[in-house]
Amino acid sequence: MNDTIEGAAENQVARYASAVRAAFADLPGPERELLLEDLEDHLAEVAAEAGGPLSERLGRPEAYAAELRASAGLPASGARRRRTGSWLRETWGAQQGRHLWQAASAHPAGRAVIEFLPELRPAWWVVRGYLAVQAASVAISLLDANLGGLSFPVPQLLGSRGLGLLAVAAVVTGSVVLGRRGTTRRGLVALGNVGLSVFAVAMLLELGASEAYDDQYHPEFVTTYSGPVSGLRADGREISNIFPFDADGKPLADVYLTDQEGRPVVATHYDNEFLEPRQLVDRNSDEVANRYPQEQRQLDPATGQRYPGPTPEFRPPPGPVRSP
Amino acid sequence: MDTTQLLKGVLDLAVLAVVSERDGYGYDVVRRLRAAGLDDVGDASVYGTLRRLYSGGHLTSYVVPSEEGPHRKYYAVNDAGRALLAASTGTWRSFTDAMDKLLSNEEGEAA
Repeated sequence: MNDTIEGAAENQVARYASAVRAAFADLPGPERELLLEDLEDHLAEVAAEAGGPLSERLGRPEAYAAELRASAGLPASGARRRRTGSWLRETWGAQQGRHLWQAASAHPAGRAVIEFLPELRPAWWVVRGYLAVQAASVAISLLDANLGGLSFPVPQLLGSRGLGLLAVAAVVTGSVVLGRRGTTRRGLVALGNVGLSVFAVAMLLELGASEAYDDQYHPEFVTTYSGPVSGLRADGREISNIFPFDADGKPLADVYLTDQEGRPVVATHYDNEFLEPRQLVDRNSDEVANRYPQEQRQLDPATGQRYPGPTPEFRPPPGPVRSP
Repeated sequence: MDTTQLLKGVLDLAVLAVVSERDGYGYDVVRRLRAAGLDDVGDASVYGTLRRLYSGGHLTSYVVPSEEGPHRKYYAVNDAGRALLAASTGTWRSFTDAMDKLLSNEEGEAA
């Protein structure tokens, strides 16, 4: 019963909200979402308080939207439509962007991300200020390679990091001031905001390009993880034991293996509860690690017994073996 | 006299004053404004004002999960909002002083 009432209230809120949203269709997606992102939650609060349907308490959705527009400082619906720049909103790319944005806002997770975006704005103001200085330093270095160039984390300006640091402090401050004003004012401030953002994006592209350059021409800087460095490997697989055979295919015992410089070749000892290598020592109690095959005892998990591991089969190539 | 017309001019100030007194979510601000005597304040106007002050950088917001019902977005006044509140309060005081003087002259003449 209670569920039905709550469901009906939710329906009512959704219907009212979508009617209000319809009156904001002329706004660009991000601006509309910034304005209306709390609308449903807000209406749900109103609906939660007893007393008649929403349209009775708040008036018709169209009137509600008009009041909202006025108080948010927007021109009345329709007045905005044919302004300069409206052609930009009608381009194919802009329409696709709008569709994407609408799809994202329709999904709860998308809404959560979109609600979070405004919180990121101050961070973006700081970052773009920093990037703008880096971009300027790169631009200068294009004119004269002795001045500037990419340097991290402190940019070089006219060949000086001190100057770079000063510039970062100044531009970041300016960027934040512009950012805070830009949300309410237009004109020059908006131009400054756009300019800074373009600079910052250019810088990000430049960074990406130089990374690609590094990857392409300086492969020695590329490190690859090759696993633990000790032990014995063939084709990347660890070798835990070696079974030598003679020319007739007879397994050999007690064979010592060394590398090309006489150093003992020691197989990888698995840290494995099922396979237990038997340690060997010589008369001086020094470990003998390169005598093969090593005696390894295997644990049978079913019985708990350990027994010598199997000797692999090997069929030597038909002899005689010679250089071709 | 139609108070909705008067409200339009001072809603920013009223909302800032209410939120600076204590953080609040949208409908809570509506209720507190009405409780303070601004009976005619419109729900949509308060919502729009809050969003405008927020996107203008005068308010910050944070979400408080609620046990029953939807989560609530609380608004709080930041330094820019406090500065705006102080400036608007100054404007309001000099305006009402002028109006008071004007009206007391009228009353004096009427009496």
